[in-house]
Amino acid sequence: MADVPSQGVQEPFDLIRLSLSERVFVKLRGDRQLTGVLHAYDGHMNLIMSDVEETIMIVEPVEGAPEGEGIVRAVKRNLDMLFVRGDGVILVSPPSRT
Amino acid sequence: MSSLQGYVDRRVLLILQDGRTIVGMLAGFDQRSSVVLSNSTERIYSADEGVEEVPLGLYLVKGDMIMLVGEIDAEEDEKIDLSELRADPMVPIRY
Amino acid sequence: MLIFSVFKTLTDQEVTVELKNDLCIKGTLKSVDQFLNIRLDAIQVLDEARHPHMMAVKNCFIRGSVVRYVQLPTSAVDTQLLEDATRREAMNQNKR
Repeated sequence: MADVPSQGVQEPFDLIRLSLSERVFVKLRGDRQLTGVLHAYDGHMNLIMSDVEETIMIVEPVEGAPEGEGIVRAVKRNLDMLFVRGDGVILVSPPSRT
Repeated sequence: MSSLQGYVDRRVLLILQDGRTIVGMLAGFDQRSSVVLSNSTERIYSADEGVEEVPLGLYLVKGDMIMLVGEIDAEEDEKIDLSELRADPMVPIRY
Repeated sequence: MLIFSVFKTLTDQEVTVELKNDLCIKGTLKSVDQFLNIRLDAIQVLDEARHPHMMAVKNCFIRGSVVRYVQLPTSAVDTQLLEDATRREAMNQNKR
């Protein structure tokens, strides 16, 4: 382990470490997702992000439509500096390199 | 775990994770934020009726069940006419 | 421990705590503990008309496990310092 270079992805959290100070995509429980600049994280996937845009997917039931189906509406919100509790985090995705 | 320290022997409002609200005197707590309330009553909110108060007496609530503990300002609380207050119950915690 | 330390530096700052039932409570951060339980003073419930339950409550203890977000004052957060501290903690974690 001592010779492993500090860069490069050896384990999942390395991927998040290399995304520090970059814009990341975060998928959360409750049909929520965030994009924002990542500044801090810990082993629980608690995050601190800035310049965050939150998108909430809300399914509005339509009369006559089967249970669980309806019109999906996206509600967006902007937040300057945000702590995100790790228990709601499903995935953290680094910025696309394209 | 200093956070509940100041609330001992004070009248508090307890909101549970399922949305129930209970008021009572905070008799004690532990490091997992389980609490014991004395002289407690549940306040049952409803959109089309006033608040119903159900006496519970001495009550222990496990920490996992707690959403929030608030210190009640007695003066402010007396100003509220619970029988005239209409409100949906507090929304339970989902995620 | 890192996030706990960050919150400790934010005591006496105005924050907005959003719970997992969408309830938003704004107030002055008085203390946090290792579980990220939060003590708020001078609280104000957003959309109080819908949530009159806490009208007589001026300060409260919020259980860490019910928190979804905490909105922080941008000016009180040194992002460079945060990133350095996070990298340092990640290194220490790897050594163990």
